[in-house]
Amino acid sequence: MPMGPIEMAFAYLLSVLGVFVPAILIVSRGARARRLAITLILTAGVAGGLVAVSSFLWQTTSLLDLSWATPFPFSFAVDRLSAFFLLLVCAVAVPVTIFASPYFDLHYSEQQRRWTWAFFSLFLLSMIVVVTASTGFAFLAGWELMTLVSAALILIEGDSPERRHNVFVYLLMMHVGAAAVAGCFFLFLPYSHSLDFGMIRAAGAAMPGGIRAAVFLSAFVGFGAKAGLIPLHLWLPRAHPIAPSPVSALMSGIMLKTAVYGFVRFAFDFLGGGPWWSGYVVLVVAAFTGLLGILYAIAEHDLKRLLAYSSVENIGIVFLGLGTSLIFLAHHSLLGAGLALVGALLHAFNHAFFKSLLFLGAGAISSSTHTVDLNELGGLQRRMPVTGAAVLIGCCSIAGLPLFNGFVSEWLIFRSFLAGSSLVDAKAGIILPLMVGILALIGGLAAACFVKAFGVAFLGRPRSAEAEHAQEAPLGMRVGLWMLGAGCICIGILPGLLLRPLVSLVQVLVPGAGVPEETLSIAYIIPWIAAIVLGTSALAALLRPRARMARTWACGLPGLTSRMQYTSTVFSKPIRSVFAQVYRPDRKVEQLPTDQPYFPASIAYQSVRTTSYERVLYRPFVELFISLAHRLRRLQTGNIQIYLLYIFLALVSLLTFLRFQR
Amino acid sequence: MGLVGIATEKILSSFSVFLFLTIILLAVARRISTSVLLFSLQSAIITAEVLATGFQEKLASAYLVGILIFVIKVVAIPRAFFVLTKRLKTVHDVKASTTPSQSVFVVAVMIYLSYAAVHSYGGAVRAPGDSLAAAIALILTGAFLMVSRKKAVMQVLGLLVMENGIFLAALLTTFGMPLVIEIGIFFDILMGLLLMGIFMFRISDTFEHLDVSKLRRLRG
Amino acid sequence: MKIMVDILQLLLLILGAPLVRGIIARFKARLQKRRGASIWRPYVELFKLLRKEDLTPPTSSAVFRLAPVLLFGCTVCVAAFIPVAHVSALLGSRGDFFLLVYLLGLGRFSLSLGALDGGSAFGGMGASREALISSLAEVPFLMGLVALAILSSRADITGMVAWTLHQNIFNISTVHILAFTSLAMVVLAETGRMPVDNPTTHLELTMIHEGMLLEYSGPSLALIEWASAIKLHAMLALLIALFGPWGMAAGGSGWGLATALLLYCAKVTVLMVLLSVIESAAAKLRMYLVPDFLGVASAVSALAVIFTMWVKR
Repeated sequence: MPMGPIEMAFAYLLSVLGVFVPAILIVSRGARARRLAITLILTAGVAGGLVAVSSFLWQTTSLLDLSWATPFPFSFAVDRLSAFFLLLVCAVAVPVTIFASPYFDLHYSEQQRRWTWAFFSLFLLSMIVVVTASTGFAFLAGWELMTLVSAALILIEGDSPERRHNVFVYLLMMHVGAAAVAGCFFLFLPYSHSLDFGMIRAAGAAMPGGIRAAVFLSAFVGFGAKAGLIPLHLWLPRAHPIAPSPVSALMSGIMLKTAVYGFVRFAFDFLGGGPWWSGYVVLVVAAFTGLLGILYAIAEHDLKRLLAYSSVENIGIVFLGLGTSLIFLAHHSLLGAGLALVGALLHAFNHAFFKSLLFLGAGAISSSTHTVDLNELGGLQRRMPVTGAAVLIGCCSIAGLPLFNGFVSEWLIFRSFLAGSSLVDAKAGIILPLMVGILALIGGLAAACFVKAFGVAFLGRPRSAEAEHAQEAPLGMRVGLWMLGAGCICIGILPGLLLRPLVSLVQVLVPGAGVPEETLSIAYIIPWIAAIVLGTSALAALLRPRARMARTWACGLPGLTSRMQYTSTVFSKPIRSVFAQVYRPDRKVEQLPTDQPYFPASIAYQSVRTTSYERVLYRPFVELFISLAHRLRRLQTGNIQIYLLYIFLALVSLLTFLRFQR
Repeated sequence: MGLVGIATEKILSSFSVFLFLTIILLAVARRISTSVLLFSLQSAIITAEVLATGFQEKLASAYLVGILIFVIKVVAIPRAFFVLTKRLKTVHDVKASTTPSQSVFVVAVMIYLSYAAVHSYGGAVRAPGDSLAAAIALILTGAFLMVSRKKAVMQVLGLLVMENGIFLAALLTTFGMPLVIEIGIFFDILMGLLLMGIFMFRISDTFEHLDVSKLRRLRG
Repeated sequence: MKIMVDILQLLLLILGAPLVRGIIARFKARLQKRRGASIWRPYVELFKLLRKEDLTPPTSSAVFRLAPVLLFGCTVCVAAFIPVAHVSALLGSRGDFFLLVYLLGLGRFSLSLGALDGGSAFGGMGASREALISSLAEVPFLMGLVALAILSSRADITGMVAWTLHQNIFNISTVHILAFTSLAMVVLAETGRMPVDNPTTHLELTMIHEGMLLEYSGPSLALIEWASAIKLHAMLALLIALFGPWGMAAGGSGWGLATALLLYCAKVTVLMVLLSVIESAAAKLRMYLVPDFLGVASAVSALAVIFTMWVKR
């Protein structure tokens, strides 16, 4: 096969990330080698972006066949869906790499840095492999590499028992998910006789309903675990806070999207829509994910845990769109299906931008204050204005406010709910419009959550000495942050840039699908609104003279201290008490001495939030597995003859199996 | 068609909406007196409906029934309630075991259920769907009020709301029952109310409160 | 011509807003057997504040100064969605109600940040309470509008208004009554009126909206006060446009516009009287009863959405 420029660029991308960068870092220890490696990663990112854009425009089919190098069919192809996600990976990877360079320099020893960059490169490679693979083997290989390398990246920072436990939970859930994903491929196998995506697609339509349902459920569980759908999200709030910020940014910004990619690939591309109930299942799980995710996020005061839970929420929003699209597909209403799918894909793209921006922001904060506990921060906007402005953009975007990118995709999903009222089926015609209320609640709570996050971390008075003496982040960090911030604003004000290509993508993915023309008008109206809002604001700003500094009113007391400010915990208290049913806190108040209730010498207050479903859902499983493990332990006698007997028995049973198979 | 005709038509077409509003407000109401007033309002709406049906179907007996409802349910029973609560010196609060918004959600679900039930029967019943759904919703809400309010007074009120619903359903499906039966039902209710009144006095005498949830001693 | 009318309507909403506040204050005073201040008082106050000096706390950043300005811009943009006397608005036919609600959200977001930047306890308190109320109020707000949008099969405000205009005034549907109930409750919560928030309170512990303004002074305060007046006026105009548009001009004739304007004034006066009666009669809800209030509104709006199923088909 002759290699065109696109194929060459793609081969360059794979070889740089997979071979050259790790090789350079292993061979050489110098800072120059590392700089070369980082530059190579950046060029690979740019090359990937070019590959994505050009193969989107010219719709190339097959790119690279590596079957000669592996025992399995192992090839890559970039259709429009892959190109979209490849663009997502590369567009986020470049700013994160730029940010990561000073970040790792500040935080890591020389030894750690080498390994980190090598794994960083492999992590990017694995995600690119996942979204561009065109055979099941390549897909699963990338999928597995992604899990292992990200776990390695978390463990490089240290390996305390707690960290190990969290990584263990992460690996466990990922492998349950991977098993389900592999199960999907094997369910296809009897019908497609190959794991080539083209063959699978062709087989998808001809499969019996039961198998289709099994594939759908298996894909939903497998990719849902990776995406962090509740109740399979447990790993997210555990893995993110302990991962270094740039890695969190990649994991939350891109790795979760590979799960979205996989789900879209299976449910829409291979199956062409699931069984009739599939949309409702997805919708209900997504609604719970969104609501619980944001409610847990708002209660957090650790910035990175907050962001992790907010990723759960955003994945919920994406799956709300996907579920809606499936419902429309089940009713053969292709316009609505297209609209919801465009909304979901755009939200996945937007989330990649603002969530990695916010995780990088958390990294910038932790570099200069050594903490991400909101209750220790405050007043950072005065001390790191450039970083603060970028993080503010991220907060506005994630809160779904107009003029920022998060709004556009939420708007599309809102409109697809509204379009649901035109469905003839009464069930769908009522449920979809009612989902507006759920998404509105999610949106409102998200706004509250990020008012808190930004307001407490960046505004007001510093709450600790570290925050008091915070310094602006280094140049590389600021550049990385602002590249992502510029992307958020750009999509927010000119959504047409992505909207039109997405419509054409959806048209290829679901034949006959489209988007109602009136919803594309958002692309024209948003710039107008931006002009009106900003124009009026500028006019209003002209009305004001320069400000004079004056002391904050302190109720006549000598002065305010930072302890008088609202903290993160207090800020979310009203919302936590209203939704107390969800949190179910275990509170304990200890008063000493106990015989004088009105004059206590000391009061100790303790509030432990154990999530109730964690207890209800996981405990039985854990206990079951532990008891199973105890029983299986009897097999382990330590006697070598018994082990030989096992091998012997296995051999015999396999032979008998073969005999009766014939 | 004169002015009365137009009014009749409007009442028949929109009374179910107002009935829905009264039951939503009943779910929100936190005071016994408000609930009683709402019950009175609800009965007034039903009176209007009865009179309108009578006008449309040219049924003289319907007027009599309408006047009876007005006298008994709009005036007499609410008055009796006010006197009762005053004499019992009970607290104003209905002591709901659900918050107002939860109650409204429950009522909303009930309205939805009654609508869905009526619509699934479709043309099997002669009555207009809206109104029949309203009647069923009244029955369900009455039951819900009895379940979720702890005050004995509210249990009686819930029963009365249920009765309103049953009466409305009967009216809509039969287009006017024989007068004797109607009067019999009223008599029944009056007797029931009397008995309940006596009971409540007994309860408050013996236990010095009207909180049903605390009457665990009945278990023996 | 049309764009002139639209701009005039927008100006009416913006410039008439302080008057609406003044009249409501006057009505309330009369209901409480006071003489009350002049109805032009809010204008005088705005001018006074605009001429004063602008103060910022020493700990604050640029966010503190930008917040009122952005709030004002967003509120004006929201007003541009709403038809007043003519069935059209500057953004009415292009932008839909989701945009309207979320633009209000953007304004609120910026004001909350400004409040937190003051560095005092009260700003945080106001912002925290506002966060609770506004996130819960968004549900009935959007769902009530969704019910109307389903009925009229339009998502833009002008389209919804034009549809209602063609209906018979006597043919009140269940959906309209339920949606009106929920949206009226939302308007009370959104504009910080009585059962939810006391607009005249100056006791720190009861403040919600006012708590956020505590550190602002001079022109910044003027902008915020003006913006909240515009918001109140726009919300009332939105209620009128959605639920009682009859009499609005659809053509371009001067007489039609003049009568429509007079009718609008009459309708707004009715709403203002209602509002002042509610404000004088109702007691402020305890903070933790407000979620119940909004929960009721949400349930009613959900019911409105459910009822569209039977009204439409």
